[in-house]
Amino acid sequence: MAAKPMDLLQGTLDVLVLRTLAWGSMHGYAVSRSIHQRTDGVLEIEDAPLYKALHRLEQAGFVSAEWGLSENNRRARYYALTPAGRRQLRTEESAWRRYAEAVFKVLEPT
Amino acid sequence: MTPRRKKFFRFPWRTTRQIREDVDEELRFHLDMRVDALVALGLSPDAARTRALREFGDLDDARRYIGAVDRDIEAAQRRSDFMNDLWHDIGYALRKLRAAPLFTLAAIVTLALGIGANTAIFSVVNGVLLKPLPFPQPERLVRLRFTQHGHSDAGTPMDLVDNRSRATSFAGFSVMEGTTANFIHDNADAERVQGVRVGTNWFSLLRVKPIAGRFFADGEDQADAPNVAVISEGLWKRDFGGAQSVIGKTVRINSQPFTIIGVASADQHYPLTVDLWMLKRWAPNELVDQSRGARWLGFLARVKDGVDVSTADNEVAKISEAMEKQFPEAFRERRTHVVALQDWLVGDVRKPLFIMLGAVALVLLIACANVANLMLVRATAREGEMAVRTALGAGRGRLVRQLMTESVMLSTVGALAGLAVAKLGMHALLGRAPQDLPLVATASIDGATLAVTAVIALLTGVVFGVLPAMQVGKHDLATALRAGSRGTRTRPGANRAKRAIVIAEVAVAVTLLTGAGLLLHSFAKLLSVDPGFRPEGVLSMKILLPSRAYDSTSSRNFIHALEERARAMPGAKSVGITNIIPLDGGGYGFSFAIRGRPAGRPSDEPNTEVREVTPDFFATMGIPVLRGRGIMASDQPGAPKVLVVNRAFADRFFPNEEVIGQEIRLGWGKEPKGETTPIVGVVGDVHGDALESKPEPTVYASIMQAPDDGLSIVVRTNLDPASLAAPLRAIVHELDHDLPVFSVQTMEERVAGSVGRQRFYATLLAIFAAVALILSAVGLYGVIAYAVSQRTHELGVRVALGATGDRISRMVIGEGLTLTAIGVVIGVAGSFAAGKLVATLLFGVGAFDPLTIGSVVVVLAAVAALASWLPARRAARVDPLAAMRGD
Repeated sequence: MAAKPMDLLQGTLDVLVLRTLAWGSMHGYAVSRSIHQRTDGVLEIEDAPLYKALHRLEQAGFVSAEWGLSENNRRARYYALTPAGRRQLRTEESAWRRYAEAVFKVLEPT
Repeated sequence: MTPRRKKFFRFPWRTTRQIREDVDEELRFHLDMRVDALVALGLSPDAARTRALREFGDLDDARRYIGAVDRDIEAAQRRSDFMNDLWHDIGYALRKLRAAPLFTLAAIVTLALGIGANTAIFSVVNGVLLKPLPFPQPERLVRLRFTQHGHSDAGTPMDLVDNRSRATSFAGFSVMEGTTANFIHDNADAERVQGVRVGTNWFSLLRVKPIAGRFFADGEDQADAPNVAVISEGLWKRDFGGAQSVIGKTVRINSQPFTIIGVASADQHYPLTVDLWMLKRWAPNELVDQSRGARWLGFLARVKDGVDVSTADNEVAKISEAMEKQFPEAFRERRTHVVALQDWLVGDVRKPLFIMLGAVALVLLIACANVANLMLVRATAREGEMAVRTALGAGRGRLVRQLMTESVMLSTVGALAGLAVAKLGMHALLGRAPQDLPLVATASIDGATLAVTAVIALLTGVVFGVLPAMQVGKHDLATALRAGSRGTRTRPGANRAKRAIVIAEVAVAVTLLTGAGLLLHSFAKLLSVDPGFRPEGVLSMKILLPSRAYDSTSSRNFIHALEERARAMPGAKSVGITNIIPLDGGGYGFSFAIRGRPAGRPSDEPNTEVREVTPDFFATMGIPVLRGRGIMASDQPGAPKVLVVNRAFADRFFPNEEVIGQEIRLGWGKEPKGETTPIVGVVGDVHGDALESKPEPTVYASIMQAPDDGLSIVVRTNLDPASLAAPLRAIVHELDHDLPVFSVQTMEERVAGSVGRQRFYATLLAIFAAVALILSAVGLYGVIAYAVSQRTHELGVRVALGATGDRISRMVIGEGLTLTAIGVVIGVAGSFAAGKLVATLLFGVGAFDPLTIGSVVVVLAAVAALASWLPARRAARVDPLAAMRGD
């Protein structure tokens, strides 16, 4: 995977969303804040592509969505990983690690 | 957290609008949360909102995108719900059907019969009528149809000249002239082959390619060109093992050498029954105006691309009008039209076949009615089950769907079994189809047939499933549940439906039985027609003397020797030889003039069939000599010519005069002008063409005085006539090794063969009617038996109150007969329509035949009485105590 820049971006976002949801079911806003905090704002991720990714992942069967009540008692859409999503996260995670290691091997002085 | 939420329960489906609202709500929630958080950090509400929107990015794009994705998700969900339900329904239906094996078997057998019969007949109709002919653009291939004075006529050589020079709508015209040929190759025995002489453009008009060698080239029909022939794929495989070396081989056809130049594919040739194509060579005196009176040719033509067939038709009609003006003597009231080749081939079987298709569809309708009845009975028994499912939340639509799934599954299994029935039926059908049913060999169960069967199966499933399904949810839930464990009492509505179905079945059965009865009655009438000869104990066979090898003297010698030797065969009582055997077709009219009467115009001349016979022919065939004498041994070439006529001839042309002693001159060119021949005797009429057509006026001449090249020999014996076939063949073989013997049949077989089509149609319709009768009897039985079982309690009370068993069974039988009577009345009305439809197929029987209708009514009444007597007997034996306790 990850051949073209577009794919790289999309794939990156997908794996971040999946990883975030691995902690438990949460709504879109929580996913957005969580990613923002974990990356210390380094990645300038807009929310629009994030929501697109959530629904795309739902369509692919990697996450399921359900309406629930938020912490402030409002109707919110909660997302959770499906078993297929969990498997997908594992494969993408290891692919990312190998990719990053390979890049580092080149970058680090020998 | 269920990945597949549908496994446990179903969310209601969302509409597009609901989806849009959900998307908006989700995004609004996000923005509100973010604004709140930023305000908490100290931003003003406006600044917070601006920042939140900036962080979000392209809001509208996201909304559109998410909405589209969600709609896709929703659609996929609906599809998968549908499939899940379907699988569920199918599984449920399977369990239900397996739980009632008797019901299931009865339904499947009924449907298999109905669907199978329909598939078989449809594949014949498809093969014969619907499939286009196997030529490129077959709809542009036409034959020319000639008529004169409203009677059908054949083409003259000048029709080719006229149309070829004047018509512009055609890619080409070709003549055809049927012929039989003695075909000899290498050292094999002579074989008689059906052939045709055609124009050089024959195969290019058909637009077909040879599978070996080539077809005719321009100029090969010239008198000085070498003889060439094309053979059929069938003959090629049969006689030459399909070897390529056949191209260029020299064979002998009618004692002349011919070179085989090509092989025509079995799938793509015309005429269909022909094995040999030769070229028509014009004699110098044929393509001249004087030959306009000679009519014997067929015409094939192809309408030019881009020209309407109707335009082409107008054009030939105009040309023939012009020709009539130019040659008023020969062409008075002569008309020419084009007929599509397919119509030409199957025109006269179209109607009977469609009638058979209609009849078999009615059988299917009865089968549907029966299964619907079975389903209704079952639906009543299952009211408890339905009530429970309704109480558990199944909607009416859901239950109807469940029932329809069961019906369609039944009909699908029925259709699969029906295909097996169709396969067997086709085999039986094609084996019994008359030889002259065109194209019937091309009938097979193919893709089109399978598609039609699938549609039939689906439709029948819906037809017999819809009535029981309509009953769903009509009942009061509480009552049904309370009565649930023992099944509910039948509601009047359901019973009325069952009765209506039985009445309809009886009505359809009456219609079918009447149609079949009419055909059978007419067939019996046909068989009872006196053919004019006594066919029992007579063997016949045909021989063709090639004119190249036989002049009139050697023909005479051959006939004489054949007669002598055949007469010497053990068992032979008498032997006759003729040129045209009765009931074999092949006769044609000759115009003649009567001495002492003014000659009419050529087109108004009297016309008669001419046959040549040996002296013993009449005695051998059992044709009586009524007055005067027959042909005698003394009527030899040197002796004065004489003619014997049949009674139809005498009645038609000499109604008030003595025919014996009259003299006529036959216009067949064999007699010198001005010479007349005396009539010396009258013999009985013979049905020469077919049993259903009137005997034509016929004159008989001595075969010794004018021998023909086609011979038929008839031998009367006290033995089994078929046993003489081998010795008779041996005699011909001894006389001339090169002569093939063909069409060896007893005269009884010829009589039977001449009514083959009528027998075929009558048999088919009789089978359908019998199936219809049995099915409707079963239906009636089912309804009465069910009514009895539902009324056990009531009957018990009646018995307890003093009703005798007799009274009870009379009541039950009366009920059955009432239903039957109503059905019969409706059916008789329907049979008028059926009678009109089959009227053209009838012989000697009117479309409304009281005898047939009367017999049908009696048969139905008897069957209905039997079908209701069985349950009536059970009703009469009801034990009042048990019946009342059981309630």
